[in-house]
Amino acid sequence: MGMSTGGRVFSRALQSVAVLLAMSFVIYGLMGLMPGDPIDTMISGNPHLGSTDVARLRALYGLDQPWALRWLRWLAQVLQGHLGYSRLYAKPVLAAIVPALGNTLLLMTTALAASLLVGVPLGILASLRPGSVLDRLANLCAFVTISVPTFWLGLMLIAFFAARLGWLPAGGLTSMVAGEGGGGLADRLRHLALPATTLAVAGLGQYVRHMRAAMIGEVRQDYIRTAWAKGCGPARVVLAHQLRNALIPVATITALEVGGLFSGALITETVFAWPGMGRLIAESVMGNDFNLALTGLLLATAATLAGSIVADLAYLWLDPRVRPS
Amino acid sequence: MTPHRVSLFARAGRDPAALIGLGVLAAMAIAATAGPAMLPEPDAIDLYARLEPPTLGHLLGTDELGRDVLARLLAGGRISLMVAGATALLAATIGTAVGLTAGYFGGRADAVLMRVTDGVMALPLLPLLVVLAAVDPAKLGLPGDSDASEAVAVGRIVVIIALVGWTTVARLVRGATLSLRARDHVRAAIAMGAGPWRIMVRHILPEVASPMVVAATLSVGNIILLESALSFLGLGVQPPLASWGNMLTGAMDEVWTAPLLALWPGLGIFLAVLAFNLLGEGLQTALDPRRAG
Amino acid sequence: MPRQLSFLAVAVCLLAAAMAAPVRAEAKDTLVIGVTQFPATFHPAIESMLAKSYVLAMARRPLTAYDPDWNLVCLLCTRLPTIDNGLARPETLPDGRRGIAVTYTLRADAEWGDGVPVDTGDVLFSWQVGRHPQTGVADAEIYRHIVAIDIKNEKTFTFHFDRLAFDYNAVNDFQILPAHIERDRFERAPAEYRNRTAYDRDTANPGLWNGPYRIARVVQGSAVVLERNSHWHGRRPAFDRIVVVAIENTSALQANLLAGSIDMIAGELGLPLEQAIAFAKNHGDRFRVVFKPSLVYEHIDLNLDNPYLADRRVRQALLLALDRATLCGQLFGGRQKVADGPVAPLDPMHSDDVRQYPYDPAAAGALLDEAGYPLVNGRRVGPDGRPLTLDLVTTAGNRSRELVAQVLQADWKRIGIPVRLRYQPPRVFFGQTVTRRKFPAMAMFAWYSAPANVPRGQLRSSMIPTAGNNWSGQNYGGYANPRMDALLDAIEVELDPAERQSLWRALQALYADDLPALPLYYKADAHIWPKSLKGVTPTGQEDPSTLWVEDWRWE
Repeated sequence: MGMSTGGRVFSRALQSVAVLLAMSFVIYGLMGLMPGDPIDTMISGNPHLGSTDVARLRALYGLDQPWALRWLRWLAQVLQGHLGYSRLYAKPVLAAIVPALGNTLLLMTTALAASLLVGVPLGILASLRPGSVLDRLANLCAFVTISVPTFWLGLMLIAFFAARLGWLPAGGLTSMVAGEGGGGLADRLRHLALPATTLAVAGLGQYVRHMRAAMIGEVRQDYIRTAWAKGCGPARVVLAHQLRNALIPVATITALEVGGLFSGALITETVFAWPGMGRLIAESVMGNDFNLALTGLLLATAATLAGSIVADLAYLWLDPRVRPS
Repeated sequence: MTPHRVSLFARAGRDPAALIGLGVLAAMAIAATAGPAMLPEPDAIDLYARLEPPTLGHLLGTDELGRDVLARLLAGGRISLMVAGATALLAATIGTAVGLTAGYFGGRADAVLMRVTDGVMALPLLPLLVVLAAVDPAKLGLPGDSDASEAVAVGRIVVIIALVGWTTVARLVRGATLSLRARDHVRAAIAMGAGPWRIMVRHILPEVASPMVVAATLSVGNIILLESALSFLGLGVQPPLASWGNMLTGAMDEVWTAPLLALWPGLGIFLAVLAFNLLGEGLQTALDPRRAG
Repeated sequence: MPRQLSFLAVAVCLLAAAMAAPVRAEAKDTLVIGVTQFPATFHPAIESMLAKSYVLAMARRPLTAYDPDWNLVCLLCTRLPTIDNGLARPETLPDGRRGIAVTYTLRADAEWGDGVPVDTGDVLFSWQVGRHPQTGVADAEIYRHIVAIDIKNEKTFTFHFDRLAFDYNAVNDFQILPAHIERDRFERAPAEYRNRTAYDRDTANPGLWNGPYRIARVVQGSAVVLERNSHWHGRRPAFDRIVVVAIENTSALQANLLAGSIDMIAGELGLPLEQAIAFAKNHGDRFRVVFKPSLVYEHIDLNLDNPYLADRRVRQALLLALDRATLCGQLFGGRQKVADGPVAPLDPMHSDDVRQYPYDPAAAGALLDEAGYPLVNGRRVGPDGRPLTLDLVTTAGNRSRELVAQVLQADWKRIGIPVRLRYQPPRVFFGQTVTRRKFPAMAMFAWYSAPANVPRGQLRSSMIPTAGNNWSGQNYGGYANPRMDALLDAIEVELDPAERQSLWRALQALYADDLPALPLYYKADAHIWPKSLKGVTPTGQEDPSTLWVEDWRWE
């Protein structure tokens, strides 16, 4: 091997930083290509805003400069460790992002865990007897969950569990009624239930299918056939060998997904009034809040890139067949 | 058609799930093409017949402006399927171009193209689409928004989804190209002095066509869902032009008054996505029988 | 059914962990209000936003405001100054301009939430902040027009305005800030003030608030918790706590109301009218739905540089071709009134005595024939042989507007004018299309305003946005009529009520004849609250109902 694992990771990380830099330029440019600026929007909302006000505000927010120059300034500022202020929230960018990120991570990890907890066993069950009724049912179930629009599913869940049965709250982070901090842990979980279910259902199908495909793929491998020939019991074969190896691709896919957790889920967050990263990023983009939008988008991108590096590492580490000797 | 692809479709034809998918899509296509001739005008507004239940005149009732739901469903299906098909095609074309170039030339071109692919893949999808939907083409020197026709407005949606959707195909094609380039017949062609374009078109493209078709088919379902998500955000196909996405979004607002209204476009989206996934899965199995059950 | 199975599998998992039974007690001491927008910032003077004014009206009080009957009243002051009662006195400024000195006295018992009295020092400080060019106060007009402030004592002061306008005593936009908290943050670095203000960095500081409630907690993007302000000078409000919850999706907002997660939906930022009408029909037994006609004027701006629209007959034909009565009657259940012009029917300055345009496609056709657009094969064809087609641009994502646009399109098609609809995100529409006059023909949107507000920005020829004036002004259509200019100038400075009334009548008549824009209708707000809630009085104008939140109570 020409390069050690550490060296490879380092070079990938370096490349990722270059990608991020390029992305920040592209995003800045794209936002610069969006028509109008926040001051234009203010004018339309305020009949009293005069020509001098407009010029003053534009200069104040630095909008009178060309966007490439603004990007350079932004970059210089970030390199000095200042992410700047969010124009929309009038706060330091981090102060705006941290609560949204917390909410998003809570929602997304719960959903991911639920998808895995249901999807992986279902995939394994389906793979045990390919072509059986159970297999077909699991497959159908996987396809069905993949094919449903999330906002439709979300509103249906609200209509049924919140509006009709009244079991669960229809939206928000916590109930604001029962004193400070809402109703505590149980209250938070109850608010989490419907949005997490929506996302979990939407993500469920792919895990069922990946797990099933990986398990079936493993059955065909020689070492499994050898194990069979040696007379090991089917339960041991399944558990000890097949499962371990079949989990590798699923683990790598999961690592990729973990990176995606940071960008949130715009649609689900909108339907359930869940103030997470998806909404924050979309609002900052639409509200022309460059500092906030860039930090949010780049954070999400960086997390995904890191996730893919971790996925590669996990693959190397888990799979003896590709581990360099 | 090359013999290889014939066998791909023939093999897929033996898969009942793929056949069901194909059947559903064929039925939708026929209904969307032939249906409008027998139905009322999908844009005919009647404010005195809003949200009516199904009758003989309106088999699925009327919507919030008194338009025939069935007629709009079929017209919307045509738009949704066309948008999804065109997007998948465009995305596959971009992806193939990138993948072929990266895989064939290798080296620095490969590194740059693949890092770009990683970057695009890593960007959060929906916020990126929100940005792209609001970008003013006039600032890029393209024809501005104001003189765009309806077809251009729909084309714009095709382009923006394709701009973020090409990455899967690119990776797939690159991988296939890399391994093909090492094959004897390609090496022989290079040795005989064939130019890179000729080799790509004559020797590599036919070989990567099948995985490309599979990936494109599998992506159509996703694109239909994306269009509906864009409609939900107010950035999809715009009324009065019907699409399943904007019909479903509109119906969600009436969900407490006329729940049935949300059923039909939802069912349309669901069935179409399901059918494309079944078909794609069938094709994939035919292509790579090891994955078969 | 496999779908239900998978739903249930996941749902049951989470449910088990979360304990099934809902624990929401009937917390009568808390009122939860649902709105569709979250206030991004809390500083009263920097940027204006509907959600912010709705929330802040519970936590702070302006000097003056328009009450639910659209009369100007004192809230933080003791007596409304007028020329008649001698508290307002026209004067001549040193540079010869006509101005006016207006004297206000703050309520003796007005205090900030930390017990510090609201005094003239705060007034002076707020003026200083408002007129400083670097603070980022968007609407600096009122601060700029005040040339000097005389301080008589701790509670009494006099504003010297550099102009004499009819609304000389309306200082609704003058936002009083607590100097004892904000002065330091401001004086250290005025240019950084907008990022340092305690309103956004320390929002729960009681000293920032002087209303019946104070903001106790903000859950970013989700909710604002207000608690009773112990230093409030007025009537003790009935609820210990008010929570304002933002739910953007209106179907989800309804579901929250039905599920009991929220008690009421604010009309100022609530359901679209057609959804509210359906809601009233289905749930009128549990909730009271009040439709309040408002000042919000939905109309279509016409780009008068467009050669077709430059012809007044074409504009009139376009309006005659619209069946606005049926539109309002069927789509909006008759809750919204057809508009004749820019002055709302409930406004004291409204005049009925203007040209009306009832639905009359035949008359529209005759006008088009006369203007040189005969009907050829079902389409209107102009003198140059090209068919007359127009564009209508409006905001995307506004459901009512999307529906209305489609109805209008169908109406115009009937007289042979194909209209192409385009929807743009509000950010694009208001950020460029209208503000920079980039709409080729028609743009549909609404004006919000205060009662008796002079539509100077929208109609005066000097208010046409151009690159030269930094695209300020709101005369997006490019309407220029010297008579209109003269009327607008006269109305602003005319103090005699009868004379004002007749000027207003002339303005409305001219508008109706000339049609610089196509009037559609006046919007109505749909307020939804539980039957047992009393005392809420919708206003229908820009001062929200929450300015009188201390009158709200359970019955």
